[in-house]
Amino acid sequence: MTPVGMLRTEKLCKSFGGTVAVDSVDLNVRAASLHAIIGPNGAGKTTLFNLLAGEMRPTSGGVFFEDREITRLDVRERSHLGIGRSFQRTNIFRALSAYENVRVAAQSRTQASFAMWEPATRLRDVAARAQAILDDAGLAALAVRTAGELAGGDQRLLEIAIALATAPKLLLLDEPSQGLSGEDALRLMARIRTLAERYTIVLIEHNMNLVMELSDEITVMNFGSILARGTPAEIRADPQVREAYLGSRG
Amino acid sequence: MNVARPGAFLVLVALVAVAPLVVHYPVLLTQALIFGLLAAAFNLLLGELGFLSFGQATFNGLGAYAAGLLLVHVAHVPILVALLVAALCGAGGALVVGALSMQGAGVYAVMLTFAFNELAFYLAFQLRDLTGGDNGLRGVVRPEFIGISLAGENAYYYFVAAVFLVVFYALLRLIDSPFGHVLRAIRENEPRARAIGYDTRRFKVTAFTISGAVSGIAGAAYAMLYGFVPLEVVNFDTSTNIVIMGLLGGTGSPYGAIVGAAIFTLLSDRLSRLWAHWPLLLGILFCTVVLTLRGGVIEIVHRLRPSTPRRKAPLRSG
Ligand SMILES: Nc1ncnc2c1ncn2[C@@H]1O[C@H](COP(=O)(O)OP(=O)(O)OP(=O)(O)O)[C@@H](O)[C@H]1O
Ligand SMILES: [Mg+2]
Repeated sequence: MTPVGMLRTEKLCKSFGGTVAVDSVDLNVRAASLHAIIGPNGAGKTTLFNLLAGEMRPTSGGVFFEDREITRLDVRERSHLGIGRSFQRTNIFRALSAYENVRVAAQSRTQASFAMWEPATRLRDVAARAQAILDDAGLAALAVRTAGELAGGDQRLLEIAIALATAPKLLLLDEPSQGLSGEDALRLMARIRTLAERYTIVLIEHNMNLVMELSDEITVMNFGSILARGTPAEIRADPQVREAYLGSRG
Repeated sequence: MNVARPGAFLVLVALVAVAPLVVHYPVLLTQALIFGLLAAAFNLLLGELGFLSFGQATFNGLGAYAAGLLLVHVAHVPILVALLVAALCGAGGALVVGALSMQGAGVYAVMLTFAFNELAFYLAFQLRDLTGGDNGLRGVVRPEFIGISLAGENAYYYFVAAVFLVVFYALLRLIDSPFGHVLRAIRENEPRARAIGYDTRRFKVTAFTISGAVSGIAGAAYAMLYGFVPLEVVNFDTSTNIVIMGLLGGTGSPYGAIVGAAIFTLLSDRLSRLWAHWPLLLGILFCTVVLTLRGGVIEIVHRLRPSTPRRKAPLRSG
């Protein structure tokens, strides 16, 4: 048996009308590991993330975080427990500066958000954290720029930086390199490599080279259910996976 | 990014102080300040939170009737107590209306603020014994302030000016505060604000409540200005005028509300003397400004000073 994970699901299901997007998924994510979730388009990966982050309620089944049942907690409560998430479709505060995007996320960890008299700039720790995260993401030079006007690659980095600013214990990254190519894609992968050393991560990613390189464990989804799971070597050797997924991508 | 820059605020203080020396019509100027409070309360919601409230007259009316009734029926009420009661009533009404309206999503929430305004109007109209119905509530006295008589129109102007500046300064502080920053995050992307851990509903209802408190103070100041609470304080025309003032001045800066209220008040006074159909001209001006200067009249200031950091985007929808 695998050791009890940081994040677990039990027979997790989600249907939309007739479509079963997530079908009886048992997941076990160990602390300090990188757990990749792969599968063809429409396999239910994002829906699974929505169930893990609390964006959606499951049709049935349970979600457990650090051995506490969180199935009924909403996205806000799960954020405060330490589940941070980036989105497949860039989901930032577009008219605010890149710095403010990260700063306001960091501010969510303080008790000061209902303070109405002192300027927000007085929250020195928050400012320092935000700046450190931007530096780390390589976005320091763009801090004052309006987030919505950043280049695609920078927006994808900002998307992750917002999640990091909430000081998560577990980071859910949904196709962070989506829409990127060339230089931008390489920059993003380098970023994920760095984060993999510091965080427990569940990563949805189509880039097989990156997944094989970084994952401790891989779960393959197809039509909502788990097709296979194992180490990168095991997954590479699995004939079912080759047929359903890897094969189609060369 | 500091809107509470002392510079701009000191200019405002100076303008408010000298206005009666230029425009010799203190009642009109007092009314402009009262409208300024209403527009600033509206712009807090639209500019910072991105919420269009079409029922701001509800809270103006609550403040006006609360202060009016207090001053009609109770002797020797200190003026600050009258304002405080009005603020609390405006806030209480806004808390209820806000909590219920925000249940609706998008345009439904807007329509709910409108529906509650209609309800408030109907109540004010029907409860004649209390409000005087369409005859208005008469006999509202204007108390003195720490022994200073406010019976003279100039004296009352300066009293309202002081209240206005204190309230407006508090709004500037709020806009720059951690709370204000969360409002803008909600405006930009409410689902993401929730995903990073904010109870967005609580922030929205709180902002709505504060907007109601400010509108209540404006209502009380209005009641004491005319010694009378007309039914108009709570009707939908007043809500519409507040929207027009807010958008005319611009939601990109809290100062926009004041510019909008000043233009609206002074212009409607002038135009109404010249021509019976003056609202037509006002409507044309409103459309022109909204179509050409998407950030409202205050946008001109931003264009003249390109170095001014833009704290927020101009209105994009609605
Ligand atoms: N909110 C929704 N309402 C209805 N159906 C949905 C909803 N979200 C997802 N689905 C459906 O559920 C299935 C799984 O979608 P999901 O987005 O989870 O797939 P995915 O694995 O993330 O795909 P991709 O690789 O394209 O991102 C799809 O058939 C999709 O159409
Ligand atoms: Mg997806």
